[in-house]
Amino acid sequence: MKIKLIDKGFVKKSVGAGILLIIVAAVTLEATSLIQFYFSQRALKAEAGMRAESELEGTNNEILDIIDQVETAVRNSVWIANWSLDHPDSMKSVAARIVKDNPVIIGSTIATVPGYLDKRPLFSPYVYQEGDKLLYTSLATEEYDYPSQEWFFKPLQLGTGYWSEPYVDTGGAGILMTTYSMPIYDKFGRKAAVITADLSLDWLTEVVGDVKVYPSAFSVLLSRQGEIMVCPADSLVMNRTVFEVASGYGDSTIYQLGRAMLSGESGNRVLSFEGKVNQVYYAQIEKTGWSMSIVIPEEEIYKGLKKPLAIVGGLQLLGLLMLMIILYALSRNTAKYKSLTERKERIENELRIGHNIQMAMVPKVFPPFPERKDLDISAVIVPAREVGGDLYDFFIRDNKLFFGIGDVSGKGIPASLVMAVTRSLFRSISTHADSPGLILSTMNKSMAAENDSNMFVTFFCGVLDLLTGHLRYCNAGHNAPFFFSNTVSHLPVIPNLPLGIEPSMEFREQEMDLHFDDALFLFTDGVSEAENSRQELFGEDRLRQILSTRRDAQGHLDAVREAIADFVGNAPQSDDITMLFMHFLNFHLKLRNEVSQISELEPFMRALGKVKNLDSEMVTTMNIALEEAVINAIMYAYPKGTQGFVDVVALMHDHSIEFIVSDSGTPFDPTAVPEIDTTKGVEDRPIGGLGIHMVRTIMDSVSYSRTDGKNILTMTKTF
Amino acid sequence: METLIDKQQDTTTVRFNGRMDTPAAQELAKNLDTLQEAASGTVILDCKGLEYISSSGLRIFLALRKAAAAKGGKVIVKDINDAIRNVFMMTGFLNLFEIR
Repeated sequence: MKIKLIDKGFVKKSVGAGILLIIVAAVTLEATSLIQFYFSQRALKAEAGMRAESELEGTNNEILDIIDQVETAVRNSVWIANWSLDHPDSMKSVAARIVKDNPVIIGSTIATVPGYLDKRPLFSPYVYQEGDKLLYTSLATEEYDYPSQEWFFKPLQLGTGYWSEPYVDTGGAGILMTTYSMPIYDKFGRKAAVITADLSLDWLTEVVGDVKVYPSAFSVLLSRQGEIMVCPADSLVMNRTVFEVASGYGDSTIYQLGRAMLSGESGNRVLSFEGKVNQVYYAQIEKTGWSMSIVIPEEEIYKGLKKPLAIVGGLQLLGLLMLMIILYALSRNTAKYKSLTERKERIENELRIGHNIQMAMVPKVFPPFPERKDLDISAVIVPAREVGGDLYDFFIRDNKLFFGIGDVSGKGIPASLVMAVTRSLFRSISTHADSPGLILSTMNKSMAAENDSNMFVTFFCGVLDLLTGHLRYCNAGHNAPFFFSNTVSHLPVIPNLPLGIEPSMEFREQEMDLHFDDALFLFTDGVSEAENSRQELFGEDRLRQILSTRRDAQGHLDAVREAIADFVGNAPQSDDITMLFMHFLNFHLKLRNEVSQISELEPFMRALGKVKNLDSEMVTTMNIALEEAVINAIMYAYPKGTQGFVDVVALMHDHSIEFIVSDSGTPFDPTAVPEIDTTKGVEDRPIGGLGIHMVRTIMDSVSYSRTDGKNILTMTKTF
Repeated sequence: METLIDKQQDTTTVRFNGRMDTPAAQELAKNLDTLQEAASGTVILDCKGLEYISSSGLRIFLALRKAAAAKGGKVIVKDINDAIRNVFMMTGFLNLFEIR
C-alpha cells in the first residue's frame, strides 16, 4: 500500500514536471518568434526605407535632370538676351528659340524691367507652345501686370536664377507649370530684364506619381510653400497646402510632417490617417525647394511578414501540440513504466511467495526422520523458474513410507498450480489408502474430470512397508526410478498413462521386496535431460555413474546437483530438477510359517551385529529372544496346514535395536502370558513359558499390538 | 547341530556341536526317550561345542532333569559359553543343574 502511494506521487510529479516543461517550451518558442518577428519587422522596415530612399533619390534625379535642362537652356540664352536688350524686336525670336529647342519648355519670355526701354515702359513678348504650334502673345498687359509677378521680381531681387512656385497658368496654356527665370544685366550692370522658361509640370505627376515601391504606396510632392503639387487625390492638387490638409484632418502629425519637409530635411516619420499607420519617407528635391514624400502603409511593408508569421505561428502551435502529446504519452509511459515496474515487482514478489509456498508444500527438512535408522531419505526441487511443475512428497503413516515424485507438463505458474493440486490430492488420498494403484487411480479421476487446461502429470508413487521392506508402487507415465541392490538398474515399471488424461484409467500396481541397503532414486526428466550450451543432454549414464559411489541420500543429491551444474555450465536451466533418494536400511526377514525358517535368523543377526558392531554374546542373546518371538508366531499364528508369513524387522537406533515381529494370523498377545517362577524346583517347573520369559528378560521393553489384522510384537534392546 | 551320545555303564555323555535352535531341538527331541532312560544314571551334557540354545533346547534339558529327578539320576552340564550361562541364569537353570 505504501509503495503504491509513493508511486502515485511520482507519477503526479512527473506530470507536473511535464506541464512546467510545456510552459517553458511555449514561452521559449513565443520569445523566439517575437524576437524573430521583431528582427524581421526591422529588416522589412529597413528595406522599405531603402526602397523609399532610392525612389526619392531616383525621382530627385529625374526631376533635376529636367530642371537642369531648363536652367541650362535659360543660362545659355542669357548672352543673346543681353544682346537683345539693344535690339528689343529680337527678344521674341530669342524666346521662340528657347521653346523650340527644348521640348520640356512650353513657354518663354524676356520681360524688361519697367522703364528700361525708352520707348516701351513694359515689354514682354511671350512665346508658348500649343500643340505643334508656337504662339505669341504679350504679357505686357495691365491686368497681368508682369512686374508684380513672382517669376519677375524674385530673380531680380535675389540676383540669381529662380524657380517660381508652381502655378496654373491662366493666361497662357492653362496648365500646371513652374517658371525658371534669370535676371539679365546690361553692359553697365543695371538690372535690365528677366528671361524665363516655363516648365509644364504634367510630367511631374507621371514621374512622381509613378513611385510605386509598394502597390498601395503613394507619393506627395510639395512646393516650397507647402502647396500640394502631386498627390493621388486630384482635388487637392494645386488647391490645398499640406497645412490646410493637416487642419482639415485635425492632425498635428501631418502639420509637423509638412514643416519638416518644407525645412529641407530628409527623413522618416510615422503618420496615421484614415485608420492606417504609414511610414513616410521624405526628401527635398534639390534646386526647386520642393519636397517629396513617399507614403507607405505599414501593413504593406509587413505584408510579407504575415504569411511567414502565420506559418511560424502555425508550426509553433503544431510543435506545442506535439510536445504536449509527447509529454502526455511520456507521462503515461512513465506511469505505464512505473506501473509495469510495479507490476513486475509485484509479480516477482508473488512468485517469491509462490516459490516459498510451493517449497513449503514438500518436505524440506532433512533428515526428515532423524529418529529413524531404517530409512535415509532426501529430496530436492530446483525449479527452472521461481515456481515449477515438479513435485515430490513423502511421509510415514503406520510404519509405511508413502512417497511420490511428479512432473507437471509445462512450466511456470500454470504448472505450479497443477503441482499444488497434485500434491494436495496425493496427501489427502494417501491418508486413507495404502495402495499406490488406488491412490493414483483416485488422483487421476479427480484430475482428469476437471482438466480443462489439458495439463497432465507424470507421477510415480510408492508405499514402502518399513517393517517388512515390502514395496508397492505404481507408475503414471513417469520415467523409471533407479533401483540399487547389488547393482544399479531401472526399477521395472509398467508405464501407464500420466494423471489427468483418462478418468477411467486403471493404474496397475507392482510390488517387490526391498532388503537392507537397497535404495531407490526417483527423478524427473529435468535431471537426465539437463542441457548444456551445446544442447547435449546430461543423460542417465552419467547419472548412474555418479550414483554408483556409496554416499548417504543427501550426499547423492548434492553430488548429482554438482555434476549437473558442472555439465550445464553457463546454459540456463531448461527444466525443473527434482530428485528423491531413498535408502532402505531396515533389517527385515520375511519367513514362512515353517520351523525350519528359524535358521534364517542366525545370518540376519550376525549381519546386524556386524552393522552395529556388537560382540557375539550380545548377538546370541538377542537372537535367542528374537527366536522365541518368531517361533511362537510360526508355530501358532496360522491354523495348521495353512501358509502364512512372519515378518521380522530390526530397526537400528543409536543405542538400541527395535525388533518387530509381525504376522497376519489369529490374534495372540504373548505379553499376556503369565510370568513363570524361575525359583521353583525341578518338580514344580512347568515345561512351557520359558520362551516368553526369556524375551521379557533379554529385551528391555516388549509390547504387543494388533494393527491392520496383524499381530505386532515390538521388542527393544538397549545397549 | 550335531549330537554325539556316548554311553559307558551308567554314565551317558551327550556332546552338542552347533546351535540348538528350535528345529535342532525338535530333532533332538526325537531321541528324548533314549536320553530320559539314561537319566537313571549320570548324564553329562557336554556343551563345549554348543553355540546357542533356544527355549525348546532348554525344555529338553529340563525334561531330562525332571526324568533324572524322578529316577534318582543326575544331569551335569559341562562347559557352557557365556551366552548360554546367561540364559541359564535368567531362567533359574543354574539352580536346577549341576554346572561344571
